[in-house]
Amino acid sequence: MRLALELILPILLIICALAVTFSKRLLVSVVIFTSFSLVMSVIWVLLESPDLAITEAAVGAGVSGLLLVYTLKKIHALKGTSDE
Amino acid sequence: MENVRIVAGMVLVGLGLFVYVVSVFGLFRFQYVLNRMHAAALGDTLGILFVLLGLILLTGWGFHALRMGLIIAFLWLASPVSSHLLAKAEFVTFKHIKSECEVVEK
Amino acid sequence: MNKMARMKKEKKTPWQRFCAWVNGDAPEKALLPAEPPKPKKKKEVKPQKKKAAAPKKEWMGLTRFEHIYRVCAVFIGVIIVAVLMITVVQLPLFGSPDNPAENEVVERYVEDGLEETGAVNMVAGMILDYRAFDTFGESSVLFLAVTCVTMLLMRDRNNTDKDEDLLTAREHIVEGHEEDIILLQIAKLIIPCVLVYGIYVVLNGHLSPGGGFSGGTIMGSALILFAVSFGMIRMSRFFNYSTFRKITSSALMVYAASKAYSFFTGANHLESHIPLGTPGAILSSGLILVLDICVGIVVACTMYGFYALFTKGEL
Repeated sequence: MRLALELILPILLIICALAVTFSKRLLVSVVIFTSFSLVMSVIWVLLESPDLAITEAAVGAGVSGLLLVYTLKKIHALKGTSDE
Repeated sequence: MENVRIVAGMVLVGLGLFVYVVSVFGLFRFQYVLNRMHAAALGDTLGILFVLLGLILLTGWGFHALRMGLIIAFLWLASPVSSHLLAKAEFVTFKHIKSECEVVEK
Repeated sequence: MNKMARMKKEKKTPWQRFCAWVNGDAPEKALLPAEPPKPKKKKEVKPQKKKAAAPKKEWMGLTRFEHIYRVCAVFIGVIIVAVLMITVVQLPLFGSPDNPAENEVVERYVEDGLEETGAVNMVAGMILDYRAFDTFGESSVLFLAVTCVTMLLMRDRNNTDKDEDLLTAREHIVEGHEEDIILLQIAKLIIPCVLVYGIYVVLNGHLSPGGGFSGGTIMGSALILFAVSFGMIRMSRFFNYSTFRKITSSALMVYAASKAYSFFTGANHLESHIPLGTPGAILSSGLILVLDICVGIVVACTMYGFYALFTKGEL
């Protein structure tokens, strides 16, 4: 069970990293980046460092995604809105 | 009794995973935003309820069960509100909403 | 005409093309003069049409360069990945006893950490006692980052124009009128829980996983939720720029002062007269609790400060 998780999660991580670079829309990239952080925090729990897992889940999946979306809004890069 | 508990927990987790699979299929099959959000909300509420109830049964009553109950409570508070806000944003910003669904005028 | 010719000559160098390509604007557009007279305009229209008809022929050099660039990028990426993979294969196994990292430092931390720092959570003992100076640097970096963002994005009399002012005024009006009743009620219910959980994570940092950074981020997200649901105006009643400055700098100063006292007395807990307490109690482990609270306050204020500056440009 644990071995399967240790195999699946890094593969998910790699898929997320590739998808971030290859997605056309920046907003999609930001969303996938937050999911990357979520997978990473699960991996931190598996590596027995819950301190890092809490921080990664709070910073990576919560606040940094929010800040990146607001940056996109600030530089008028959100597609499909009147800002673009 | 012990076996019954474990089997019930596994069945509940399996049900939750089934609900998740259905919701993911809906998320990718539907075309319009509100339909897709409907499909996603299925996994957010029912799926997480089944999975966490199954996990509570599997771990047994104790402090962990209380934590998982708290997770259910907070997810049920937070996730419908976020979908409500997303739907409201879609309603406000999408101009041709009447071509997609019925709109009740206030 | 002279300018055009000169610029065309300049454009032929690959470096210029590279710059134009990296900058994202097509070389044709960069050539357009600011106020084109009529005869020039005709001449400019023609090459654009040509380009639209056969873009590959006109920009053969550029496309070939782009092609080579992509091949090179993939090649270099594969090489870097291969080097990193080989390094990973040759790394020692996770947790094996003859790792070079398992020297007397780690031994000292693991064996004497509980006695010397009084923290049950060994990570907190490490980053806030043995390596407290590093953590001070980290929180100073956060403070510096929010200061830089303030310099760049803070809105004051010098860097506003009318459009932006109108936009913010409209947003304020919208904020005041369109309050969502569902969001308000749920926020009233959830925000205190999130704040209490963040405070718990900060205060319990030396006993369980957590600490200043994670707890501070949780508190900061509670503040962000408050600002989102209740609006910036109500937020600024109890949290504005001056309170932000006072709280953050005083927290950093308390951190620096307590650690300076610890260093001044020899940094070995013998002469500092700070009781370590019984391990496992809330009021234990000497200075770690104070330092955790300081770091948590700095991080929470920083997170909210980032959010406020990015959205409205004011704090």
